[in-house]
Amino acid sequence: MTMGTPNKIYPCGRINRRQMMFGMANGFLGSAVGGLWAADGRIPGALLAGTPRAKSVIYLFLCGGMSHIDTFDPKDNKHAGKLMDAIGFGDNNAPMKRPVIPILRTFKNYGKSGIPVSDWFPNIGGVIDDFAVVRSMYCHQTNHFPAVIEHATGKPLRQFEHPCLGSWATYALGSANKNLPAYINIGRPSSPVQLTGGYLGSAYSATPFQAGSTPIPDLMPQKDSDAKERDRRMETLHELNKQFRDEYAAEAAITGRLKAYELAANMMMTAPAVVDFANEPQHVKDMYGIGEKPTDDFGKQLLLARRLSENGVRFIQICHAGGGNGSWDAHGDMKAHEPLCRAIDKPIAGLIADLKQRGMLESTLVVLTSEFGRTPWSQNTTGRDHNGKGFTTLLAGGGVKGGIIEGSTDEVGYKALESPHYISDLQATILQQMGLNHKKMDFPYNGRTFHLIEEGTGPIQNILA
Amino acid sequence: MFKLLSTSLIISLTLTLSAAETTAPKPKPKLWSLQPLTRPTVPQGLTKSDNPIDAFLAAKHKENGVTPVGPADKLTLLRRLSFDLVGLPPTPAEQDAFLADNSPDAYEKLIDRLLANEQHGVRWARHWLDVLRYADLDGLDGSVMPAAPGIHNWRDWMISALNQDLSFDKFVRAQLLGNRNSGRVLTSTGGRRSRGAANPQDQFALGFLARGAITNSNKDQNLAFAAVETISTAFMGMTVACAQCHDHRFDPITQADYYGMKSLFDPLVLRTVPLASAADIQANGDAMEAYRSKSEPLDDAIEKLTAPFHKKLFDERVSLLPPDVQAIVNKPENKRTVAEQKIFDDYYPVLRIDDGKMKEIMPKDVIAEFDALNKKRRALKRPLSLPVNVVVEEDRLKLNEPSYILTSGDPMRPEKDKPVKPSFPFKPEDVDFRDGRREGFVDWLTAKENTLFARVAINRIWGWHFGEAIHKSTSDFGMLGGRPSNQPLLDYLASEFVAHGYSMKWLHRLILTSDAYKMSSASADKSANYDADPNNTYLWHFRLKRLEAEPLWDSILSSAGNLDLTVGGRSFQAVTPDSKQSIFLPADGTFESRKNRRGIYMARGYIPSTEVMSNFLQTFDVDDGRTPCPMRAQTITAPQALYTMNGELVERASIALSEKLAKESGDDVKTAVDLAYRKALGRKPTAGELDRTLTYLGKDQANLKGLGWLLYNLDEFLFVK
Repeated sequence: MTMGTPNKIYPCGRINRRQMMFGMANGFLGSAVGGLWAADGRIPGALLAGTPRAKSVIYLFLCGGMSHIDTFDPKDNKHAGKLMDAIGFGDNNAPMKRPVIPILRTFKNYGKSGIPVSDWFPNIGGVIDDFAVVRSMYCHQTNHFPAVIEHATGKPLRQFEHPCLGSWATYALGSANKNLPAYINIGRPSSPVQLTGGYLGSAYSATPFQAGSTPIPDLMPQKDSDAKERDRRMETLHELNKQFRDEYAAEAAITGRLKAYELAANMMMTAPAVVDFANEPQHVKDMYGIGEKPTDDFGKQLLLARRLSENGVRFIQICHAGGGNGSWDAHGDMKAHEPLCRAIDKPIAGLIADLKQRGMLESTLVVLTSEFGRTPWSQNTTGRDHNGKGFTTLLAGGGVKGGIIEGSTDEVGYKALESPHYISDLQATILQQMGLNHKKMDFPYNGRTFHLIEEGTGPIQNILA
Repeated sequence: MFKLLSTSLIISLTLTLSAAETTAPKPKPKLWSLQPLTRPTVPQGLTKSDNPIDAFLAAKHKENGVTPVGPADKLTLLRRLSFDLVGLPPTPAEQDAFLADNSPDAYEKLIDRLLANEQHGVRWARHWLDVLRYADLDGLDGSVMPAAPGIHNWRDWMISALNQDLSFDKFVRAQLLGNRNSGRVLTSTGGRRSRGAANPQDQFALGFLARGAITNSNKDQNLAFAAVETISTAFMGMTVACAQCHDHRFDPITQADYYGMKSLFDPLVLRTVPLASAADIQANGDAMEAYRSKSEPLDDAIEKLTAPFHKKLFDERVSLLPPDVQAIVNKPENKRTVAEQKIFDDYYPVLRIDDGKMKEIMPKDVIAEFDALNKKRRALKRPLSLPVNVVVEEDRLKLNEPSYILTSGDPMRPEKDKPVKPSFPFKPEDVDFRDGRREGFVDWLTAKENTLFARVAINRIWGWHFGEAIHKSTSDFGMLGGRPSNQPLLDYLASEFVAHGYSMKWLHRLILTSDAYKMSSASADKSANYDADPNNTYLWHFRLKRLEAEPLWDSILSSAGNLDLTVGGRSFQAVTPDSKQSIFLPADGTFESRKNRRGIYMARGYIPSTEVMSNFLQTFDVDDGRTPCPMRAQTITAPQALYTMNGELVERASIALSEKLAKESGDDVKTAVDLAYRKALGRKPTAGELDRTLTYLGKDQANLKGLGWLLYNLDEFLFVK
């Protein structure tokens, strides 16, 4: 929906005049209105030459820590049952001996690439040739909240209000759609930090969206209001504001109010259409597993993500099984992964196939990750502990080479061994594909400069086409 | 209007600096804010106003070629003053009274009336609580804020202190010491009398220090760190926290200063004080005893039933451990050394036997019995705990422990070769620590010789009145903070503040009676002024201010006649907390059920796993209390527009207002519009507005609800002229 289109919620002539005024005002309001819907990026120096490979990013985050060795990084079970030197979980960093527990999954080599995928992800196996499987990710933190925060902000500690990756990216690039937020989160995260704009300002925080009729707070008018009455109100409001706005025409805040209402009205018109799946054909819904009980929720979220991506939303983050530690946190029994895998397997494969059939995969970067992986050993259960020293992240589309494996973990899957990549490398990769120089993601304030990327080796070049 | 950031952000890069860079002593630069405070002479002959503020401003006006605009009209001033001093819009009755009062001191009487209103403390406490990091909940990674159950007592203490015009030095003293009285007197014989006893309510002021403690696994974490950061920023205007990891790169503050200051607070521990009456304590104890008499036999029965299964699993797990660890585990607890006990504790996750695991090896009949016992056990309701307040006090043992530099920030890794003595930045030679560490510091901090204390305080107060302070970075009087736009004015106010016994109400009166405060906010058609001073740095017109979240909340509810003006009490939660996170949340009874109270009582804070801040507070730029917030950001965003366009609060208020209007106007639409404008905007509608509104309303009384919506969405409603 472009700015000139007549507004269906408030289809009065005033709106068009106001849209024109908005067009004139655009450019100098900047942060007074908030980057949420700002058109221009705010770190022009970070823009890379050429056309960015990824117009948008769909960032799938599995809350709690998906086990890499039970999914995409198989190990033989020759060490199963043996005690190994382990590091305790949480803030208990004492070394101790713990028993390695067997991997109970069967793996099959899929596609032309023959990349092994476990029986929990048969559908993802079907599209594995589109994925780069990075098996050598690592982070520093070993417990959920710190690791989630590290993952989101690229900093192992949160002494300051560091913004998350999506905020940085949209701060730097601005919005491609003036009717929708540039950075949207779907699903409950592990931590609000995964949404925060931090010192970039709350306007750069993720806007929480949900599938369903009210994607964002207060988007829809109160139930009993009718469109005609709303239109009358908006028209009257505009006239009653006139004297005050004339008197304070020199104030950026007042010009900003005009724009804020304009954008709010546009949102009210645009967003419901984006979340309305009525026009999606049944076969597309089927690809995402919509209508099947285990996959319905996540399928709808991914279909919504595709639709947001089509509408120019730059960064769409989807948090799966969040709230608290996250349901992927399988300490007690690895079997807890099974229903979670089933819930996401078909929708993810469907998303890849759908993007591909629309010719969107080339310009849409899909990332699948957790805050960390899981240990080869257990705490004397049939589940696994947290493991930040080695885990797997998958990337597809947006200029990423499919069907390749990057790096490795050791023979039990504990530590990243070959080509280790700190989580900042994942961030740098995403930024580069979005057309941003990861080394220039800086925010100056009071004579000092904050950097998003402070560690690691930069974009993961081996997986880039 | 870019978001104002806490100046503590400035220290971010310090983490990557090595200690090696920190050794060379620095020459102390001539920082303006460290120069002695002397009262400048009031410039003469530049203004007709006899308020010295106007004389100092006039000098700058002349220097910079700007001409101040004229005064605002009476009703604009009334609304401005009401929001400023009590955070509420003026009622129609207050408007009538002020308009009718033609006496020469009508304006002064208005100021006195508002300052005497108990809602004044409610409004101004919010400013100071922002700087002092008030939060109802705080915690990272499963840690909690131990002071949470009684923290509102600190807020309520502050409201009361501001209402009583507790002098600013005592205001600070009480929050640092729990005792507003200094009371040290030299007797004629040269002897020394110790400090006066504390007023009982000052224990609540210690909520300030107690709030800083974040407990994780029973380790007191950052009470002392939080105290240094908050006190230095709030009352000294210095980002001392930069020196946590290295000597300050810009200001004359060393790492030793930082840890010296931290050592003032190192001996502090938390103490929980019950607030109940003797009868309540007795009754609660009795209820607890009754509960125990039922729960203990059940616990015993469960333990007896599970013992063999527990032992079997435990022994199995122990047998998997390395032999040296097995030896430690098998020792009786009282025979283990401290180090051995630590190893034992480290193995807790391995040795913990969950019910589920035991049930896997229990026979069916035992499982049934086990489940039945557990069901009974769960059915017992533990009595609610009594209200408590959490204070800090010096621990005698900790007082004798030396303090060290901790470049790593980790209290478990002190640099034993770098001990520090109680100290603080800019400490003179002769500080008297005989009464205590904090006492010595507070005596220095609040002394009139301190060049920072009064300057920082009056500058904050000025900023809250005008929307921008004389020294713009209110929390940074250091090298990076820039220079004040009008230092003579700042110094004059600071020295007069000291001379007037640090009375904040005196300062309010002086500021509010200046011509500067009474200026119009309109700035159109003043192009010469714009050219000379586009940012209004030298104050040639009053700054248009967007209402902060709390006065906006209060204003919507109040104009609809729905605001509960009760002062004090627990906070209410506007967000329903995630029950999964209950372990991080305070127990039942911590929060208030009435949700139409003033915005200051809306719960706030930060827990990474669950949302504490309501959508409303976040949308309207409220910080979560993790870092001192010197000035609120004033963003203008589309979500704010959505909130007032479609939100439930405005919907409910619009209905309430329309009902009130219908009743009070005797069904006369014109009277209703007139009244609505006066309730919401503090003035009558103009003829044009009345006309336009009547056209909207038509003959349909039902549209009165729409009238409320219109008023709550007007720019004028959100701004203070």
